Amino acid sequence: MALLEVKGLCVAIGRLSPLDNISFEARKGEVLGLVGESGSGKSLTAMAIMGLLGRITGRVSAGSVVFDGAELVGLAEDDYRKLRGKRIALISQNPMTSLDPIVKIGAQIDQVSRLHLGYTKPQAKAHSIEIMKQLRIPDAETLHNAFPHQLSGGMKQRIVIAMALAASPDLIIADEPTTALDVTIQAQIIQIMVDLVRERGLALILITHDMGVVAQACDRVVVLYAGRVAEMNTTEAIFAAPQHPYTAKLIGCIPSHAQAHGTLLGIAGTVPGVGSYPVGCRFNPRCTAAIEICSTNAPALTVNAQGFVACHVANANIGAAL
Amino acid sequence: MSAPLVSLKGLTRDFSTGAGFMKPRRTMRAVDNVSLDIPRGTVTGVVGESGCGKSTLGRLVLRLIEPTSGTINFDGKDIGTLKSSAMRTMRRNMQMVFQDPYSSIDPRYTVQKALMEPFQIQGSNLSKADAAARLAELMAMVGLNPSQTGSYPHQLSGGQKQRVGIARALALKPSFLVLDEPTASLDVSIQAQIIGLLEQLQADLGLTYLFISHDLSIVRYFCSRIVVMYLGRIVEVLPDPQMMPQHPYAQALMNSHFEPDPTRRKHVQILKGEIPSPYNLPAGCAFSARCPAATAICHSKRPALLSDISGQQIACHYPQS
Repeated sequence: MALLEVKGLCVAIGRLSPLDNISFEARKGEVLGLVGESGSGKSLTAMAIMGLLGRITGRVSAGSVVFDGAELVGLAEDDYRKLRGKRIALISQNPMTSLDPIVKIGAQIDQVSRLHLGYTKPQAKAHSIEIMKQLRIPDAETLHNAFPHQLSGGMKQRIVIAMALAASPDLIIADEPTTALDVTIQAQIIQIMVDLVRERGLALILITHDMGVVAQACDRVVVLYAGRVAEMNTTEAIFAAPQHPYTAKLIGCIPSHAQAHGTLLGIAGTVPGVGSYPVGCRFNPRCTAAIEICSTNAPALTVNAQGFVACHVANANIGAAL
Repeated sequence: MSAPLVSLKGLTRDFSTGAGFMKPRRTMRAVDNVSLDIPRGTVTGVVGESGCGKSTLGRLVLRLIEPTSGTINFDGKDIGTLKSSAMRTMRRNMQMVFQDPYSSIDPRYTVQKALMEPFQIQGSNLSKADAAARLAELMAMVGLNPSQTGSYPHQLSGGQKQRVGIARALALKPSFLVLDEPTASLDVSIQAQIIGLLEQLQADLGLTYLFISHDLSIVRYFCSRIVVMYLGRIVEVLPDPQMMPQHPYAQALMNSHFEPDPTRRKHVQILKGEIPSPYNLPAGCAFSARCPAATAICHSKRPALLSDISGQQIACHYPQS
């Protein structure tokens, strides 16, 4: 059963509507990838689920977000607070800015379990150190007493993950958790998070633009483009036979093993801004497979034998045809 | 085989922090005894994590910063001893494309002004007609629309800005370009466009590149040779990008890279420890503290960079084949 069900989610910020009819579900024990270029609405989707749109004067204008059977859209701020950090945790992109520089690391992790689980100070400390050890943070007792600036970027990100785990949430949303980190550290953090999902039966929504990370870590993938879902499928199916031209092109942007010179194409043009979405399919000006209807009618997200796709010319051989 | 275009010998650069009250001067070696030949018409890739000295190396090659010791030969001439005026003339042949197109172009310059600046600096008095022709040629070369000559950087997208950066580097028809993470701040789709452009320019103009990056998939695709650096030192040189590395660090780096293919998933070996502080390097191999294969000799004796028969160079006491 789905732990989180996003249905027809639309988000408005002032007169703009950056998210249009987003639907997907996250399941326990599974890593769901949310991919797309910058400006596709990945982070905004995360903010909508977390009930943080108010901070950027946005609101959910239509649709629903059901978490463990309860509707989150329209939930009172007080109730949301009890949910955030306790049942749904967010790991943001930059560990340098998600830690308070003048509060000791230990105190920052401790406060999660003290607030949400009602632990006493010594209980919280023991709990935090145990989580730090699970995350393979060396010398956890000493680091519990350190300040953020004394740690490397990779270690700080592990501390942020420890904070996210402190109240044993059911769902973690990780918004580009490794973008600011070096490659070897990135690989380790991804491995740690995937292991956690498998061991604890968590649901993880992994937001990324790196198709390599998606292939390595995700079970299912939602491809977003300009605020709409372009395609949704299992990772195996998405990579083996993408049905949407955008998905195929996005995968083609990363050179594969032993790819011949001169065959890396990229995608011409850029993601349109929120105020200037084209009529019809939002990808049509950049699409090499576009036909007439693409510039007049927006394709609906439909299910076929292969998976979910929103494209007039969708087919499983689109990758070879482009 | 002809002589290499660029030849570095024993290149070293130290940086020190200023001494203060009750604070001793501390010195770190950003680039340590690097010797490297860059053959003509090839793309040599330098990979490594932040702090490994790859960007410092790129700047040293163009003498944007001065080496502490070692020599730089460009086209048979030792450029390390050139006076600044002679060096400026020399720079017509060697240019750099910077990582961040958002900060490498003056926000008050139009595209036209940015592209014509190299000619002013070099004192080449182009006639109006020649300047216009060269401008149009440069813009076409990098795929910029002629209508954008009057645009300011804030009116351009990241990819377009990087195209301006590349056009500027090509303005004086250099033979050698240092590309310092030219796609790191761009979206994947734009990154692929820029790599494609660089590839095409290299083939059309017979350029030689030193390509600095932390992205192994791009380096493997784009480069004909890969140099792996760790803490200022070259640890391995792969003469063919598809070759498997033998240095444990280079292997860890390769193993950390995920292919866009779910059938090639990897189990990531967790390296112990963190990159040591460059101010306080271990006596032996810089990687010894984190290396799974290290023994006593690795902690005390620094391994030399040695070639095997295939031309692969490895600095390791126990290469893992």
